[in-house]
Amino acid sequence: MKPAPFGYERPRDLQAALAVLGEAKVSAKIIAGGQSLGPMLNLRLVEPQLIVDITGLAELKQAERRGDELVLGACVTHADIEDGRIPDVTRGAMQGVAGNIAYRAVRNRGTVGGSLSHADPAADWLSALSALGARLTLRNLSGARMVAMEDFIVGALESALRDGEIVETIHVPAMPASAHWGYAKSCRKTGEFAHAIGAILIDPSAATARVVIGAIDSAPIVITNAAELFGGRIAGDYKDRFDARIADVLLANAGVSNAAHRHIHVSVLKRAVREAGA
Amino acid sequence: MSMIALTVNQRAVRISAEPRTNLADFVREKLDLTGTHIGCEHGVCGACTVLLDGVPARSCITYAVACEGAEVTTIEGLDEDDVTTELRAAFTREHALQCGYCTPGMLVSARDLVLRLPQADERLIRVGLSGNLCRCTGYVGIVRAVQSVIEARRARDIAPEPDGGRKILGPAGSGRSVHDGADRVERLRPAASEQMLPETASSVPAILDFTPATVLKQQFIVAHPPEQVFALFDDIAAVAACLPGASLTAPPKPERVEGAIRVRIGPIAATFQGAARIERSPADMSGRIVGIGNDRRSRSSTQGEIRYRLVPTGQGTRVDLSIGYTLTGMLAQVGRPRLVRDLAARLIAEFAGNLDRRLSGTSPADATAVELNGMALLFGLLRARVAGWVGRFSSNKDGAT
Repeated sequence: MKPAPFGYERPRDLQAALAVLGEAKVSAKIIAGGQSLGPMLNLRLVEPQLIVDITGLAELKQAERRGDELVLGACVTHADIEDGRIPDVTRGAMQGVAGNIAYRAVRNRGTVGGSLSHADPAADWLSALSALGARLTLRNLSGARMVAMEDFIVGALESALRDGEIVETIHVPAMPASAHWGYAKSCRKTGEFAHAIGAILIDPSAATARVVIGAIDSAPIVITNAAELFGGRIAGDYKDRFDARIADVLLANAGVSNAAHRHIHVSVLKRAVREAGA
Repeated sequence: MSMIALTVNQRAVRISAEPRTNLADFVREKLDLTGTHIGCEHGVCGACTVLLDGVPARSCITYAVACEGAEVTTIEGLDEDDVTTELRAAFTREHALQCGYCTPGMLVSARDLVLRLPQADERLIRVGLSGNLCRCTGYVGIVRAVQSVIEARRARDIAPEPDGGRKILGPAGSGRSVHDGADRVERLRPAASEQMLPETASSVPAILDFTPATVLKQQFIVAHPPEQVFALFDDIAAVAACLPGASLTAPPKPERVEGAIRVRIGPIAATFQGAARIERSPADMSGRIVGIGNDRRSRSSTQGEIRYRLVPTGQGTRVDLSIGYTLTGMLAQVGRPRLVRDLAARLIAEFAGNLDRRLSGTSPADATAVELNGMALLFGLLRARVAGWVGRFSSNKDGAT
């Protein structure tokens, strides 16, 4: 249960970190809080030759509101969000999600960028930030690009990150006052990885809704225009119009063929819709 | 080895350690502070919880080298701490410990709850302690002890600190690492040797029948007559070439095939080496491949069985596959069987695509040379190059488990 030996570098700034990653002739892995990578290293499921520690990079430990979005550095922790050490642009939605991730000792070190990069389908931020319509800045030595959350996760533990690329910032749009938010997950033990996640950001006055069905075996199902889940029309009575059959079909199309699993996912989504409508 | 300078229980220490040394081993082995207990070593049980820059952290999944300049407080450093003193008395009074193994971590987490929770809410305390496992007490005494300390302190008008006193952003323990001014560099370990030992495959004992723990059923259609597909299935080298990551390690014989398959889920990579036995029934164009393999690195083993049956259809041949496997060892302990199942489903999808290409005479070289790179392959390669084929692929995931 001890990791295989690895080399370790702690670059002084982002440019130096990217240079190390870009030049690495060996298998290199970035570590932030290490709350996902640490267990994998200890279990020797992953044996990189070089670990690049980015927790010293001040650039990644910042959070600020820029116009109508929140820009979060990748090394902001779940506890930073839970405790309100960052500006709140989602009317408490992110705070609620953060406070229920794993355990406090994990939240004190686990980072948003690390969780996203790890791309575990059952991780909260994958689903929550997809529903919130977040985008990510990915950077490598030659520059930066921006991807939407729904394009970033491509499968179980697989993200759109290329070699030498790092999640730099997370951009979360401010939630309009007229929008409703619901987030629910099912865990058999408090703090464990979820078996099902449902998230919804719905704005009846604008007739828009983003719905996410997460913690399936692969990338979350992101429905950017979720009118079909509400009988084709998004209005104030949406929670009565929620059509569980459509959610069931979406899950079946995504490859969840076990009816009991689909039932759990649909029930959890229903709970999120109810929470949004409460 | 790296020289690591940090503060432990208010004492400055400067000690060299390997980068892979976790903080728990560091305080136990280098400083003799054995009050910090190590349980699961992967962040689940909470026995190793210490204070890092004043807030709780798992010392088993925090590497000492990453805590340069940090302030570490172990249970030994809480002797004079007000809250912990009250908690110790309450734990004693409420019988909140028995064997004591979880107690140091439990006290660190309990102290954090006493500081942060506004009132002695039983549910919040239980949720707050859910990351610290106790196998003796049933938690009742522990919860009561924490409740009583919170009640007593709030009654004395000591206000809660919802943030536990933390004011800066970023992982606990990382706050001062920039101030050492220089890049910290530990030279690389020698490249891991992954040479395959020749005796591995032949050392595999007789290949026995077994009852698989997981069965996946899938089917796909290829636009070629069943006879042609059945003939290809007889060509073991060709079949292996269609399976992403697969390679033969010895010339195949009908009764025994030796080979390896390399699979990858995100950062986890495994190479299973082993042998398989092949059975064919030309009468109903069906067959069975039973195999056994080991991944030396993760000390994991798998038994697998592939049954296939070819059914003529208007479009060509429908291949009905039933894939059963049992995984044991380290990889099975990841505790996420659905991810493994997802991988197997992806493997089949890629296999079907390559088979179709091979039967059509297109070179599958570009597709077979690469190992299965998770969903990237399925989403990228398949979507781009064989979009038409994907439309015909029907899957029946999950199956019986």
